Amino acid sequence: MTTPAAHETPDGEVAARARGLTKAYGSGETAVLALDAVDVDIARGRFTAVMGPSGSGKSTLMHCLAGLDTVSAGQVWLGGTEITGLKERELTRLRRDRIGFVFQSFNLIPTLTAAENITLPMDIAGRKPDALWLDRVVDTLGLRNRLNHRPAQLSGGQQQRVACARALASRPELIFADEPTGNLDSGAGLEVLGFLRGAVDDLGQTVVMVTHDPGAAAHSDLVLYLADGRIVDEMEQPTADAVLARMHLFTRANPRPPDVVVVRGRTADDVVAQED
Amino acid sequence: MLKATLRSFLAHKGRLALSALAVILSVAFVAGSLIFSDTVTRTFDRLFASTAADVTVQPEQDLRSTRLSGSVQTLPAALRDRVAKVDGVAAARAEVSVQNAVVVDRHHRSVGPTTGAPTLTMAWYVTHRSPVKLTSGHAPHGAGEVLLDADTAGRRGVRIGDTLTVQAQPGTLRVRVVGIATFTTTNPGAALVFLDPAVAGRELLGSSAKATSISVDAAAGVSDAELKHRIGAAIGSGAYDLKTAGERAKSAAAGLGRFLDVIKYVMLGFAGVALLVGVFLIVNTFTMLIAQRTRELGLLRALGADRRQVRRSVLTEAFLLGLAGSTLGLAAGTGLAFGLVRLLSTFGMNLKATEMVIGWATPVTAYAVGLGVTFVAAYLPARRAAAVSPMAALADAEVAGSGKPLTVRAITGAVIGTAGAAALAGCAAATSTGRAASLLGAGVVLTLIATVVAGPLLVRPVIRVLGGAFPALFGPVGRMSQRNALRNPRRTGATAAALMVGLALVGGMSVASASMSASFDRQIDENLGADFIVQNANFTPFTRQVKDGVARTRGVGLVVAQRLTPVAVRLPDGDRVRTTAAAYGAGLDDVVHITYVQGGSPAALADGRVAVDADFARDHGLRVGSVLPVEFPGGRHTGLTVSALTDQDVAEGFGTEGGLYFGLATLAKYAPDAQDSALYVNAAPGTGPADLRPRLERALEPYPQVQVRDQADYKELVHSQIAVLLYLVYALLGLAIVIAVLGVVNTLALSVVERTREIGLLRAIGLGRRQLRRMIRLESVVIAVFGAVLGLGLGLVWGVCMQRVLALRGLTALAIPWGTIVAVVIGSAVVGVVAALLPALRASRMNVLAAIAHE
Repeated sequence: MTTPAAHETPDGEVAARARGLTKAYGSGETAVLALDAVDVDIARGRFTAVMGPSGSGKSTLMHCLAGLDTVSAGQVWLGGTEITGLKERELTRLRRDRIGFVFQSFNLIPTLTAAENITLPMDIAGRKPDALWLDRVVDTLGLRNRLNHRPAQLSGGQQQRVACARALASRPELIFADEPTGNLDSGAGLEVLGFLRGAVDDLGQTVVMVTHDPGAAAHSDLVLYLADGRIVDEMEQPTADAVLARMHLFTRANPRPPDVVVVRGRTADDVVAQED
Repeated sequence: MLKATLRSFLAHKGRLALSALAVILSVAFVAGSLIFSDTVTRTFDRLFASTAADVTVQPEQDLRSTRLSGSVQTLPAALRDRVAKVDGVAAARAEVSVQNAVVVDRHHRSVGPTTGAPTLTMAWYVTHRSPVKLTSGHAPHGAGEVLLDADTAGRRGVRIGDTLTVQAQPGTLRVRVVGIATFTTTNPGAALVFLDPAVAGRELLGSSAKATSISVDAAAGVSDAELKHRIGAAIGSGAYDLKTAGERAKSAAAGLGRFLDVIKYVMLGFAGVALLVGVFLIVNTFTMLIAQRTRELGLLRALGADRRQVRRSVLTEAFLLGLAGSTLGLAAGTGLAFGLVRLLSTFGMNLKATEMVIGWATPVTAYAVGLGVTFVAAYLPARRAAAVSPMAALADAEVAGSGKPLTVRAITGAVIGTAGAAALAGCAAATSTGRAASLLGAGVVLTLIATVVAGPLLVRPVIRVLGGAFPALFGPVGRMSQRNALRNPRRTGATAAALMVGLALVGGMSVASASMSASFDRQIDENLGADFIVQNANFTPFTRQVKDGVARTRGVGLVVAQRLTPVAVRLPDGDRVRTTAAAYGAGLDDVVHITYVQGGSPAALADGRVAVDADFARDHGLRVGSVLPVEFPGGRHTGLTVSALTDQDVAEGFGTEGGLYFGLATLAKYAPDAQDSALYVNAAPGTGPADLRPRLERALEPYPQVQVRDQADYKELVHSQIAVLLYLVYALLGLAIVIAVLGVVNTLALSVVERTREIGLLRAIGLGRRQLRRMIRLESVVIAVFGAVLGLGLGLVWGVCMQRVLALRGLTALAIPWGTIVAVVIGSAVVGVVAALLPALRASRMNVLAAIAHE
């Protein structure tokens, strides 16, 4: 069922790569596999969506690729750096300098203004932001007149845009977005997806988005389907209808007792994060 | 509902632990002081009841103060024979017991206690009332033999056969120790030296016709009160002071009570500080717990619990906390009292206290205090909890913001603060000490309350300034720390308030004591002209042989003796004022600079004349030429003619009201036994003080009770006496800081829990563990320094006002100990760092993913 790494960009560049990536919770007989020997390549300069039902392991995959979580077996590279086996401090530095994050909610530090939130990773690193790039990001996201506001003074959509701006501001190698539209109304959600799309097309960024919304996945270049800790399918240049159809197909084609999947996946995910 | 409350209490017991510690500390001090004083009182009551004679005849008590004059009041030894003849007297003894003799071993070391307890030199009688019994050697016979108590002998390494020197008022006596007497009761800490009764009067009082009291044993069937009545009738009760065993025990206990009261008040002071600071801690804990449980409380409300039930649930939690804290505090207090009793024994006060006395009042007070303070502290948070709406269960849990506006606090704080400031201003402007002191008290309390109430309002402006450099110094970490401290001004204010209270006290006291030291220094510089002062560190009088020794020393020029005596003066305006008068020898102007408004030293020191402070004279209608009726101890009285008015910076508070002094010749007539309390010594022309000093010290070697001091040493002595007060304040501060640190730890730990998601996010986007720890540490530092700045600011204002009150008593210098203040600010930053250790560690150990997902 494992899909081999076959998603090469035209120039063959890979932003992140995993081989035999396995994540187990617990040990011995009671061990639960959240990821089961996943091989995956994330192509540079593309927008990749990771889909799957609750508990399929999609968030765990993202956490492992981003160096937020440790792996049980296998290897993960970010660009040319193998991140499996890195020390806590090196992982922290890696996240700070080479990865951008957009979470579903609670993305911003409430005591800091929008502008301070955007430059926070660079401030922590003690680097000066690239002023031209920052201007471009801020203008692209339409945050120019919101920069001195605190998160509490911003709408949900504006907060997510600030989070996107923060992820883009340091020009990271890879941006991870975990259900970035999950808490937004459809209008604001579309806006954010548009910005992520634009980040790839206009700004040349690489984005990996975890979602369970086919409409959101349709904005990506490539959809990876995860179930039961494995990549079970993929779709290039998706549309919402095609994604939805594939999901139905996928569900029909894999008639397994749904309870088992859910229970198994949930147990795993509850330890890590509650997805919904 | 009770089950839910219990569950909640148990679930949060970790977070309540620090609050419980605050309750335990305060209850422990309250209970400890009660148990200690009960135990000591019971022990001494037994001692006095078992050792007092059935009836004791003593000289009349008025103006009795042997400490000041070094004289001993006596009655005729022949009185014993008259008393013995009274019907119902089984036995009567003429007692001789003095405290003014110094006993020195052959290495010139005093054998007496170093703790300030007296050395009692007395006649040896064996009765069933004796607190000691002869355990080795034999009873003293004749002038050359003494007994020593076993504790003193053991402490000083004195054995039977050793030679001691007894420096008594009439003269020095060389004696051999012939026996050791051991306490059969509690040893109150004094050293006991016993002489043969046949010679005690002559050697200790200068005449065998004198005694210090008559002890009477009643015949069988005669009550003490009846016997006292009969003796009074026989010898004339007006002239003597008669006491039954019961009365004697009571007055002795009262004297002891004053000593115990000091310990008790100190302990209660500690308890008060612990309570005051603990309240802030408890309020903060409950407020934060409730903020964190808003959704849970909302759910309870949504499920049908009414407001009262929610409030009661929180108060029940507080009750449980108070109950647990009080119980542990009571246990800790027992331990504290036990420790204090042990401490007393290291000071030579060997209590035969086999059990601690815990009266019914102790647990009642302990629980009242523990439960009361917890309840009061939890009341407001409980009301806030009850105000949570059921909708809170559905809403997203928002991190507690700044909450309601602070208008009420602003108005309350401003009103109380204005009243307090007015009181302090009134104090600074007042001209009478009593009025100034009461205004000071009111001002201190009001300004303290105002600062606590308005503290949260000051958080923003002050921390903006204090943490202003943080972003520049520490980058985004510094910026976030500063903002976090500003985030919830109520919380920051309450946390800092704990530290503020303690530091305000210290600030005030250190200004007052520095001012006192500076004032005394100035007075010493201006008034003291002598090269050296020979005196006792406790200012107690010493044998006249010291003066002879000094005068004989080669190179000594002028020696002027100072003696003190308690007197009572009858003033023209009808007042009878009891005060202390001084007497000086000739040559006063060469050793002390006195400013005279009228007259001069020769006139003042002439026979039958007296000098009076000009202000005192004006207030009471005295003029030069007025005849002032003066009563001396022992019923002697005379009229002294006022012949000089002085302008002295007298400190009325020190028992020298009126600044009365006269010549030694005058004193010799009315208080002939008074000993020297200070000798002013000038080097003879041609002898340098530096050369004289070693010779003086050699000459004074046999007299360990006195020391030679030049002006610098004398200042040092005065400073050290003031410092004692300061040490007490520092100890109080130490306790306040310990609890305040607990408060900061508490607030930070709960904040860290509250901000779990935020911390997770920061870690996810690349904040390192060390940076995270630094962020929390800086927040802690800024809160602690905020408390210190507020406290010291308040303390400085108090201190300046206290100095104004002291100035009315002649202590006119104002000194602000900047060194101490800077040290305290730096110390508070250190306190902040220490307080942040655990919370920071905990935050940095959080699992990033779990933290992001935290609800």
